[in-house]
Amino acid sequence: MMTDKSNMVDITLNKDVLVVGAGSVGLETASKIASQGYKVSVIGQKTACARQSGCTDEMLNSGTVNIMQDVVLEDVAGVTGDFRVTLAKGEEKMKAVFGAVVVAPNYSYASLNGAYGLALSDRVMSQSQFEAFMDSDGLKKVAADSGSDADDVENVIVAFLTGFGQEGDPVSTGRALKSALAVQKTSGCKAYIYTGNIKVGAKGLERIFTEGRHAGVVCFKPSVMPEIEQNSDSVKISITDPVVRSTIELEPDYVVVEEALVVGQDNLDTATLLRIDTDLDGLLPSNNVHRFPVRSNRDGIFVASNSVDAANVALRIAELIGDGIKNVSADQAKVDEERCVICLTCYRSCPHGAIFWENGAAAISPAACQGCGICASECPMDAIQLGDFTDESLRKSVKDAVVSVEGSPSIVAFCCKNSALEAGEAAARFGHNMPAGFKMVKVPCAGKVDVEFIMKAFVEGADGVMVAACHEGNCKAERGNTYAKWRVNEIQKRLENMGLGKDCLCFTTIASNMAGEFAAKVNAFADKLA
Amino acid sequence: MIVAERKPFDEIRSMVAGYKKVLTVGCGTCVAVCLAGGSKEVETLNAELNLAFKKDGIEFGAETLERQCDMEFLAELDTRVDEYDALLSMACGAGIQFLAERFSHKPVLPAVNTSFIGVNLDVGWYEEKCRACGQCVLGMTGGVCPVTMCAKSLFNGPCGGTNKTSCEIHTDQPCAWFKIYERLAAQGRLDQIIEISPANDWSNQKPRTLIQPGYEERVKAMR
Ligand code: SF4
Ligand code: SF4
Ligand code: SF4
Repeated sequence: MMTDKSNMVDITLNKDVLVVGAGSVGLETASKIASQGYKVSVIGQKTACARQSGCTDEMLNSGTVNIMQDVVLEDVAGVTGDFRVTLAKGEEKMKAVFGAVVVAPNYSYASLNGAYGLALSDRVMSQSQFEAFMDSDGLKKVAADSGSDADDVENVIVAFLTGFGQEGDPVSTGRALKSALAVQKTSGCKAYIYTGNIKVGAKGLERIFTEGRHAGVVCFKPSVMPEIEQNSDSVKISITDPVVRSTIELEPDYVVVEEALVVGQDNLDTATLLRIDTDLDGLLPSNNVHRFPVRSNRDGIFVASNSVDAANVALRIAELIGDGIKNVSADQAKVDEERCVICLTCYRSCPHGAIFWENGAAAISPAACQGCGICASECPMDAIQLGDFTDESLRKSVKDAVVSVEGSPSIVAFCCKNSALEAGEAAARFGHNMPAGFKMVKVPCAGKVDVEFIMKAFVEGADGVMVAACHEGNCKAERGNTYAKWRVNEIQKRLENMGLGKDCLCFTTIASNMAGEFAAKVNAFADKLA
Repeated sequence: MIVAERKPFDEIRSMVAGYKKVLTVGCGTCVAVCLAGGSKEVETLNAELNLAFKKDGIEFGAETLERQCDMEFLAELDTRVDEYDALLSMACGAGIQFLAERFSHKPVLPAVNTSFIGVNLDVGWYEEKCRACGQCVLGMTGGVCPVTMCAKSLFNGPCGGTNKTSCEIHTDQPCAWFKIYERLAAQGRLDQIIEISPANDWSNQKPRTLIQPGYEERVKAMR
């Protein structure tokens, strides 16, 4: 359903939202989205109370928030604004359309007591076990029983171990800080934290940390893991204090060990079904500095892992769906249906899941396409053209970039507009010396550098060709830099087979603020060519 | 393209007998082009089967995919196969096996015999051209394949049995090496027939996989 308005098109988006995961975060996300005026279906195993998670009676009774207990995601087709989803409950299958999908992963925890050489016991608990212990007033009772619930005695000692068993993150630090503060506030109890790395990079953590310190929580940050000795009914923790140059020993009544987040096959399966990437630890979504943390590599698919995310997802969804009509640029990648042989190469290569097929040809959603051009470079039939960077215009840019200057090699540098191009322009502005025969060709992403363009530069007479992409893990299109690197490696092999040597072609990565380094790389390459 | 022909009806009938609900799956590419397993052939076969099994009450469903040798297209059946007790595939042997792999819990039956890699001579008329030997010699042989056409698949021929333009196996079978001689003579390249082509390494005829240059890393990441 598209209407032409010069280079912009109106796209109709479905206004319903699917939330996958009915834990507290999933339900909270649903309530936040519902408050923005959209209808939300929540699927999965319900593990929290909807009302406590922010859903009002009005939302639940009117069906604005529809909780579909034990329903699972079975298949997802389509693109942002129009996800065609198959849901299943046992044998029963249902089809539905949603404009956006939110994943609220239900991670589980694994105790890291092994990393500290500790066995779990009455005295040694995992963070989760201790939280349950606190929730059932276990510590309060112990303090009362030991007769030490007077405010001025601190007989029950709890030690927290965190940041040595794993690198640590704000979530696990936050849990330890919160529990420690609660311990300290329990009459007759005192909390100690032994931490390798205190990570307070999340909302409110700095405050809890300070509040804990003021309340009397003692925090040690030794450079190595404390020495820990566990006997049948006691645990001894020793550290060497570099300031007072002595060993500090503690025999706490309770030891609480940190936990690692376990991603779980169910979350990974959901990611695979939705074709969204995970980060290096398998957590959803993949990190990308170019987009908001709740966004995934696919437009219209979001991830909410905590309350802050829940609120942000709702805002992003309102921004995406609006009143159901979105005006987008039509100058994105377009398939020539006559040429397309429906080989699916583009579908398999698009990092943003923007491609599908209909009526015997590939089709690209202008709403989901991010204009990286990876598909256009991979298509074996040259059936895809990118509005601003057509093959024809790029061929011309390559030709214009080959200049012959006396005493200088001719270097054509394909520069990603998100990084290398800015670095190169800054290098010129700052007056860094670069060879006179050096010229840049602007590409939307290194993933749009075709094998053909690189070869063309040589055919036109370039002495050297450079492909300059974003650093690994920093590509706006996730894998554009990787594709570019593969292509360069392949052409280098071909050049060697032709007896030309591979040194006239190089691949490099650079960030936009690295003007000096960029100039240095270009000059080093020029020296090699000379 | 890959050329196939439909199996005799009796053979198909005896394979499906005993099942209650069968999905006939066509393929919209090679086998559709050679008129063996496209959407029309699916409909025709199902009509025949319905007639034959009227009394037994077997139900036949129909679906023709773009290609059965791509898993994304097979995935279009994911939500449908469980309704059926067996799948009857009209794709080539590659497609049938890929279907059987994806739905390994279901019996998958072949409705066609895969014949060869060949060309279209006219509507419904095909000729074998290539045996996928993995070491193409067409450059030396004037563009005539001796592996396919020569009864002995000789890389260097002819043999002593060549018989006034035909092969010793039959007077209707042209001798591949005579054809090669004619083509090279006409192009003035006859000296090439003297050159010895090294024998093909027939041990390459094990199940083969291929990764195009430049995609090794991608495949590694996928595995
Ligand atoms: S890569 Fe090209 S030919 Fe293949 S499906 Fe996409 S547009 Fe069609
Ligand atoms: S240009 Fe990039 S984002 Fe757009 S369809 Fe092609 S690969 Fe996907
Ligand atoms: S399954 Fe066989 S017949 Fe169908 S497209 Fe693939 S190779 Fe051709």
